[in-house]
Amino acid sequence: MTTTTRPPAPTLPSVPRPRPLARLRDRFNLQVLVVGGAMVVVGYLAVVPVGFLLHDTFIGSRSELSFRAFGRAYGAGSQAGTMMLNSLAFAFGSAAFALVVGATLAYLQVRTDIPFKGLLFAASLVPLIVPGILYAAAWIFLGDPSIGLVNTLVFKPVLGASPVNVYSLWGMIWVQGLHLAPVAFLLMTSAFRGMDPSLEESAAMSGASRRTVLRRVTLPLLRPALVSAALLMFVQSLESFEVPGLLGLQNGIYVFTSRIYFVLRAFPADYGSAGAYAVGLLVIAAAGVLLSSWLQRRGGHATVTGKAFRPQQIELGRARPWVGAGVVLYFAVTVVLPVGVLVYASLLRSYAQPSLKALRGMSLHNYGEVLRLPIAVTALKNSVLLGVGAATVVMFLAAVVSWAVVRTRIPGRRLLDLLAFTPIVIPGLVLGLALSFVYLRVPLPIYGTLGILLISYCTRYLPYGMRYASTAMTQMSKELEESATVFGASWWQTFRRILVPLASSGLVAGWIYILVVSFRELSSTILLYSPGTEVLSVLIWEQFENGQLTTLAAIGVLMVALLVVLVLVAHRLGARFGLQSDSSR
Amino acid sequence: MSAAGAFSLLLLAGCGAGAADDGRIGAAVVVSSQAQKVYDEIQAQPPARQRAKAVQLAKEEGRLEVYTSLTDDVANAVDKAFHRQFPGIRISMFRGNSETILQRILQESQARKLGADAVESDFLEMSSLDGQKALAHYTGPGQARVAASSRFPDWTADRFNVFLPAWNTDLVKPADVPRSWEALADSRYKGRITLEPTDSDWYENVTHYWLTHGRSQAQVDRLWRRIVANSHVTKGHTTIMALLGAGQTPLDSMNYTYITEQARLKGAPVDYRLPDGTSPLPAFARPNGVGMLRGAQHPAAAWLFYDWMLHEGQKVLVSLHLTPSTKVPGDTSLAGVHLAPFDVKGLTDPSTDWDKKYDEQLRGVASAKGTG
Repeated sequence: MTTTTRPPAPTLPSVPRPRPLARLRDRFNLQVLVVGGAMVVVGYLAVVPVGFLLHDTFIGSRSELSFRAFGRAYGAGSQAGTMMLNSLAFAFGSAAFALVVGATLAYLQVRTDIPFKGLLFAASLVPLIVPGILYAAAWIFLGDPSIGLVNTLVFKPVLGASPVNVYSLWGMIWVQGLHLAPVAFLLMTSAFRGMDPSLEESAAMSGASRRTVLRRVTLPLLRPALVSAALLMFVQSLESFEVPGLLGLQNGIYVFTSRIYFVLRAFPADYGSAGAYAVGLLVIAAAGVLLSSWLQRRGGHATVTGKAFRPQQIELGRARPWVGAGVVLYFAVTVVLPVGVLVYASLLRSYAQPSLKALRGMSLHNYGEVLRLPIAVTALKNSVLLGVGAATVVMFLAAVVSWAVVRTRIPGRRLLDLLAFTPIVIPGLVLGLALSFVYLRVPLPIYGTLGILLISYCTRYLPYGMRYASTAMTQMSKELEESATVFGASWWQTFRRILVPLASSGLVAGWIYILVVSFRELSSTILLYSPGTEVLSVLIWEQFENGQLTTLAAIGVLMVALLVVLVLVAHRLGARFGLQSDSSR
Repeated sequence: MSAAGAFSLLLLAGCGAGAADDGRIGAAVVVSSQAQKVYDEIQAQPPARQRAKAVQLAKEEGRLEVYTSLTDDVANAVDKAFHRQFPGIRISMFRGNSETILQRILQESQARKLGADAVESDFLEMSSLDGQKALAHYTGPGQARVAASSRFPDWTADRFNVFLPAWNTDLVKPADVPRSWEALADSRYKGRITLEPTDSDWYENVTHYWLTHGRSQAQVDRLWRRIVANSHVTKGHTTIMALLGAGQTPLDSMNYTYITEQARLKGAPVDYRLPDGTSPLPAFARPNGVGMLRGAQHPAAAWLFYDWMLHEGQKVLVSLHLTPSTKVPGDTSLAGVHLAPFDVKGLTDPSTDWDKKYDEQLRGVASAKGTG
């Protein structure tokens, strides 16, 4: 420490400094400041809840190491084996389904002259917007063996049977997969956009068949993105509760999260067992992270290089109408059916099968009810603030940290990567508990404010932000930064003017994703909100608890409308900022 | 380094003991001698003058924070009615489910930042707060308005959740309605019953009822196994009610009668009483109640709310079809229903974990037994 005060070093030199050494020092300082700061924040966000979780799982009542929580969670009578198999089958099935659907759609969207691109974009976002509880409920009304509209209106009259059953493992995978496919779509769209198709073109010119090109060129190039997406969706399915809770329980299909729900809901709540299950999830997810980073290391591919490229769109030719019809069908199944059921339900006083009597009783009563709810305006305002805030903070942190992880040799960067990923497996309820525990004791005015919700959302969605950002960063060739540096740009200038714009496609996709999912977040919110900081998901939960399924449907419909507008605005802004828009080409 | 810094902060913040052994997170209760003084000052008055004293002191306090697990339509109505009567006291209600309410009070207590003055929640959570000595003793005139069975050491029941089966009236003809809890085990209900996975208090009460009405343990076990074999499980009483109304399931093993009644009044084809307005099964009424906290920052307002909930507040509950704990003109929520005593002792017995038992029963764990 020096006693004399020095004037602060200018952070953004507008003219190149004369001495290269000083310039290097300035650049280094800012870089250390920004990267170091981001790393501290990420470390803090991740370690606090994980530390809390491990503490309560492994430490006994007399502060000694104890494994009794694991005995309770996985011991006799817990049927842990079946539960784990169900969890894995459900998570693996949903992730695979979502990945195939999402990647195919992304390919069609970015690389072909497929018709109805706007429709596809909507189809890829709406399931993301609809809160899980509502999406699962909508599918009950569609796919229930006795009252499901798909069965009663389509299959029963045609086949005389009701083959669709959402309460089976396949049904769960279907609903979860459709709910997740947008994540895969968003991730893969940005990957396809960042990929130079000239490599594929050269392969094709050299006489490789379409399949060979796909197998030997396209898939290897996409591997970082595919692996990232697969991991994310696998873990998210492991961690999701709504589908296993609403659909799985009907036939006694238990997974990790439904067990966690039970031990936390039991009286008195068993935090140790909940922790033991969460640690189980953590172990599976860590294995996934290690596997994925091993797959990534076996040849990462930079696909955004200094060379200009303009992807040629593949002409579908005679297949175009068929593929177009496929898109319309997909749109119908993922958007029109579930949202249609919600709109239908939102017009009824209490849910009933479609009949003349039901149709006659339709009204806008529920919408009026929503607008009259005393906290509706506060909730809307808070949700928008938190969604935009969390998305911006997370994507900034993720961009900086993923740059450090992907681009530098800073020691401990792999640990940082893993740390940034761990919040994904912490059940929201446990996260909420941990945060309230910490901020009630820290002498900062955070508890009971929107700040604690912002911290919670940033923690929860950091892993997603990281996947989006690191996929974008991995794809970018180092030569772009190097040439910027050669031309005298500072690190911050390079980051701001070169890296961020080039990665913007991935960053904006991540931003949109986080914005949307923030609107749905409930499990940690429920412990952290206070009078005055209610959000939309709390409003939804209140209606759900209250049994107002039809009012709930009205809120869902309004939310879909609101978020579609927000996403379109973000998309427009993103396009101005550097996001390439496929529809404009 | 950042990790280490954060972690030390956490350890600093946390207490030593974790939840590995018994799953519980310990909590120390906040006690304020200031609050106790106010409670004493009010209750030292003759009963007829206690209310006036409380109103005077509460107006000086100016604020009231209530944590409640009442559903939001009821909470809003209570908020409004209380505010109308006492415009000088700014009431603010935090709504959450009963576990959240308990969790929040314990957490805030531990951190000495208790926000709640009064609490209105479910049986188990109120019992737990009572057991941890978080609640102050109330001796006001409200005590005399409720039956002895509604008085607990440091809280008082202000409403009941009544447990009875509910059915879809389009799918279950009056002749096919179960006439006893045992009937749920009949093979004619195979695949037609819905169970809720957290209804362990119902499970305990029915088990206790059977064991005290001449059934052997073996018979009770057999009945439960057959009921579970007849059923599928859906989470959430209100979800079940929506699905029941939609015809997804014909029969709900148990729901709170007010939920059924609210759905019926909205036009859903559901009921818990036969067409003649009676219910043939013994119903269990779970007391939920009101308490004032020993660590309250606005004790006079807390006392006033407690007293008000057992008096004027009762009418608000009745207007929304809840079952009040006092006699209120116009209350028909118990018409045609005959009540069996609610087994308070069995449910609060710390040696038996009914949640775990019920969960094992539902999952068909071989050792599951409905013993006490």
